[in-house]
Amino acid sequence: MSPNIITDRRSVKMPTDVMSEAFDAHANVTVSFSGAEDVVLIDMATNLTDEVNVFTLDTGRLHPETYRYIEAVRDFYGIDINVVSPDGAALAEFVRENGLFSFYRDGHHGCCSVRKIEPLARHLAGHDAWITGQRRDQSPTRADVPQSQVDTAFSTEERTVTKYNPLAEWTSAEVWTYIRENEIPYNELHDRGFYSIGCEPCTRPVGPNQHERQGRWWWEETTKRECGLHSINLASDDMASGDMERDDLQSTNLQVTS
Amino acid sequence: MTITFVKKILANGEPCQKCADVQRRLDETGQMAQIDHTIIADERDPASEGMVLAAKLSVKRAPFFVVESAGEEPTVYTVYFKFVKEVLNGQVSKAGQAEEILRGNPDLDFI
Repeated sequence: MSPNIITDRRSVKMPTDVMSEAFDAHANVTVSFSGAEDVVLIDMATNLTDEVNVFTLDTGRLHPETYRYIEAVRDFYGIDINVVSPDGAALAEFVRENGLFSFYRDGHHGCCSVRKIEPLARHLAGHDAWITGQRRDQSPTRADVPQSQVDTAFSTEERTVTKYNPLAEWTSAEVWTYIRENEIPYNELHDRGFYSIGCEPCTRPVGPNQHERQGRWWWEETTKRECGLHSINLASDDMASGDMERDDLQSTNLQVTS
Repeated sequence: MTITFVKKILANGEPCQKCADVQRRLDETGQMAQIDHTIIADERDPASEGMVLAAKLSVKRAPFFVVESAGEEPTVYTVYFKFVKEVLNGQVSKAGQAEEILRGNPDLDFI
């Protein structure tokens, strides 16, 4: 288990309890909204606080349906949504050098970094904690997502950012039961076979019995995205559990920095 | 100080995309001149120099850099931009840092 995990996996909490914990522990919490089924976070948050701080990352490449949905959620809950955009100069430079569809050729990391991660880092720099809709059943890369954790990706030496994943233990079915029972508006793309909704060029509907992951970056081979070293010589508990992408390097007599 | 750059070859024989990207950045910035050794971790060959070094230093990711100074334990960097900033005293772009974050935290893919 990664050392940055706060919550004991065996003590699963209700999503609203996780959110309450976040609001109680931090003065400056922001809720992530991707324009998809993570709308349940907003629903839960608005039941817990009158001052919910919601943000969404506008990559500039979202479906028109998603933009309309973000606006519908804003109206439905009567809340402000911080629409966080990429840095104009950085995006212009990236597009000038790589074109508008480089992800089909070079993979999605470069484009996602400019359009999502840099804006996310910039937004989180002003917050103590964030709440995400990450669930373990969404993809192998999220199989170990805890309900709360120190976010080592965005923490610095000066400040700690905590990430709360209230839905970590929920399944897709549970999320959709919640949406339907509470009559929450949802992205119309879901009715057209889209499970996981991202940018328009990188998202497609999936068919029966296909994992939602197959609707994103389907042209990339998973093996080429991994940075782990795959060899029986390097087999370890972490690797055996599929936890190869984490930075939890073990060492006793040397300094490893990552 | 001696710097070793370890690149990976995938089990299917293809070069690691990130390794190629790091190599390109080092070349473009002229920082490759500060790298003393470049070795290969070939996933098809556990006895390859890079795989042996990774096992010895308990490194599970590639590419990575090993910085050795006389009388000190070696330091391993698996984050390229941190290596550039701390060892080569180079400038790192926000976009570059963001890409490093994404590659090191694949759960962010679906954000």
